[in-house]
Amino acid sequence: MTYTARVGIAVLVAVVAVGLTSPLGAWQAALEVSPDIAGQGPSPAHWLGTDHLGRDVFARLQLAAGAFAGPGLLACAVALVLAVPLAAVTAYRGGVVGSATRFGFTSLAAIPRFVLVLLVLSIYGDSSVTLALVAGVSYVPMLGEAVFERIERLRGEEYVLASQAHGLSGARILWVHLVWAACGRLIGRHLLALFGFYLVLETTLSYIGGFGVQEPTPSWGNMLVFEWGRRSVFDPALLAPGLALWLTLAATGWAAEALGEVEHG
Amino acid sequence: MLALSLVAVATAVQLLLWAAPGDPIDLLPNGEELREQLSVEWGLDQPIAVRVLSYLAQASTGNLGISLAYRPGMPVIDVLLQPALTSLGLLSGAVVLSLAWGTALAVWTRGQRRQSRRLVRVLSVAPVFLLAHIGVHGINELTFSLIEAGNIARPAWFALPAEASLVRSTLAIVLLAVGSGSLAEIHQEVEQALLTIRRSGFVDAARSRGEPTTLLIARHLLIPVASLAAARTGFLLGGLVILEKVLLINGAGAILWQAALLRDVPVALGITLFSAATVCLARLAADAVRIGLDPRLRGGSR
Amino acid sequence: MADSLQLSALKIEAGSQTLVTGVDLQLARGEICALVGPSGSGKSLTARAMLGLVEIAPGVTRGTLEVMIDGTIHSPEMTGDSRARRKAFAKVRGAVIGYLPQDAMSALDPLRTVGRQVALTARRAGRDQGPTHWLNLAGLQPSVANRYPHELSGGMAQRVTIAQALARGSHFLLADEPTTGLDPAIRRPLLDELRRVADEGVGVLWITHDLRAITGIANRVLVMSEGQIVESTTPDQLAGGEVESSAARRLIEATRRIAAGRLG
Repeated sequence: MTYTARVGIAVLVAVVAVGLTSPLGAWQAALEVSPDIAGQGPSPAHWLGTDHLGRDVFARLQLAAGAFAGPGLLACAVALVLAVPLAAVTAYRGGVVGSATRFGFTSLAAIPRFVLVLLVLSIYGDSSVTLALVAGVSYVPMLGEAVFERIERLRGEEYVLASQAHGLSGARILWVHLVWAACGRLIGRHLLALFGFYLVLETTLSYIGGFGVQEPTPSWGNMLVFEWGRRSVFDPALLAPGLALWLTLAATGWAAEALGEVEHG
Repeated sequence: MLALSLVAVATAVQLLLWAAPGDPIDLLPNGEELREQLSVEWGLDQPIAVRVLSYLAQASTGNLGISLAYRPGMPVIDVLLQPALTSLGLLSGAVVLSLAWGTALAVWTRGQRRQSRRLVRVLSVAPVFLLAHIGVHGINELTFSLIEAGNIARPAWFALPAEASLVRSTLAIVLLAVGSGSLAEIHQEVEQALLTIRRSGFVDAARSRGEPTTLLIARHLLIPVASLAAARTGFLLGGLVILEKVLLINGAGAILWQAALLRDVPVALGITLFSAATVCLARLAADAVRIGLDPRLRGGSR
Repeated sequence: MADSLQLSALKIEAGSQTLVTGVDLQLARGEICALVGPSGSGKSLTARAMLGLVEIAPGVTRGTLEVMIDGTIHSPEMTGDSRARRKAFAKVRGAVIGYLPQDAMSALDPLRTVGRQVALTARRAGRDQGPTHWLNLAGLQPSVANRYPHELSGGMAQRVTIAQALARGSHFLLADEPTTGLDPAIRRPLLDELRRVADEGVGVLWITHDLRAITGIANRVLVMSEGQIVESTTPDQLAGGEVESSAARRLIEATRRIAAGRLG
């Protein structure tokens, strides 16, 4: 495993761990308004300073990881459950159903994901569960198409035919050999990309406002706007959420290196 | 095939609409006032299959329904036409620019320069709204301090993004071409294609005959680049929706935000269909390029 | 002095590994010199070094190459990757030394008709004749000009590369196993074609491992083994088994075994 892949995984695990545990913690510093310490710069007590309501920026940064960690994982689970079995079974069986499924994936992949998300928000309204579900669903065509293509290509290959000749059951060949062994890394890379997409989606919505996480609950997106106009863009309190977002996204890419392709020979 | 894809998309989004618990009018903030009008227009007394089919039939004639909240009473097609053209212009600019930069980078790195590749990836991974945020406010701050210091007069485009549509559009195209991983993805894909072509027998043969290979490689590179352009179109469209909102550009993307906020479902549906059609057309164009260039895809040997 | 190609003391290293060492080789116009040896013995590498096309990442090529044409001596630097070296080799490649690849099908541009490709080569070489002239010389019908490479058979594709080499007007030709992978029935006519090309005054270095085909085609034979030339002999001596080196004996043995296997 490359050095950057390790760093990527470490960052991701840390961010997700903070995000999943943060709702359990007592986040007084992140939520309580204390005018007497408002707008301070970095200090030993407040590592990244405080915002203009006197809330600790570093604490808010950690609490904000909760805005995407849980829903992001939910989105991954939704995409995994909806796309992989459908794509795997139809690709393995082939025939008209296979072609139809594939055509469906390709057609639906023509809807830009962000557009689909906004359409669904317009129909069903805004909640973080809706957002996670629609992010997962919007990724189904892409993940499904990738898995379908891979399994369809491998279906006729010799080792599959040989396992069939050895009398292994179709289900075992499909799930163990084709899905797990041959598509595992591919699926992993797509799920990392989806997690990154959810992160971008959540921060974008709360940055623009109207949707997503709203004040006073922090998100890396709304933290960027909250101090806007009061400080320089390059102030640590404003830079920190942006850099955290940037680093986490880069980490999803680095972590994907660990799932790089091993050529089947 | 293209038409069939669009039918599949329209059917899917319609089913999404009718899958709402109760009926979608319940979900709309101003649903009850419009209930009578909408029941007739959306055919709520009909079975779902009939509703979907009648929407498809109407959509095929360009009738996408009536806006509910964004421009109440106005046909969706009229609401969308002009802004959609603005968006299409920005989109094609971003597609061309990202391909040009990605290809130029790929030619420069050519399988070497690992560090440069890493740098491109890290820079490009930033989401477009973050780049826009830093870009716009960074430019504003810098300009403001220069004005304050008396170094320059107040420029006409100050302050972004409210003023000067040309600067805004340029910024949108540039950020779209770079951000959210666009540049890195295209760079990587073009580089891979370039390496494959450079290693191929016909390039080696041309080289061994002492002939220039640049044009030969360029022509072969057009095929994967065309496919890539089509594949990236949908992705860039998503980014454009965000940038239009952040940079205050009056395109279809900005309207989609309004429609989503106001729960104007017909407008949101119309924009979804528009964007899917754009992606399908881009795929069609890419196929045309590939078939035009590659005789093996034309089939039917003589 | 007659036109000639002279390669001396060629040495190719990749890292700590020596792939080719001490190879000396002369080639006169009008002759076919067969270069035989087991696979991995450095035959193709030697040929590609003469075109300046050895691409092993840390690879180092040494030696001297001198080609005398009409009283002009071309001697591109073999070591390094300087601009001057590339320029010197660009003058030699094609115009002086041509190359026939093993896999002719992949050596043709799949996006262009055969005629376009041959015409392009001829035009770049400053020749007036159209593509059908060169295709005809290589034993192909004029109608082939309108076909795309994927519509050709393997033998036809190889003839097209010969037509391209003729159109390019190379004085020397390095043929890297041009008949490997082709149907046995069409190998002989292709080799006869190669002989005709040599009789027109082209010096051919023919890399092959098909010892049985050498008689009647090649004028002389070089045996290569483990990166060195171990024996210089004639086709008749080789056919009669009168060889000195153990490498050559092993090659003859292997050929006999294959032939016996085929017949039995």
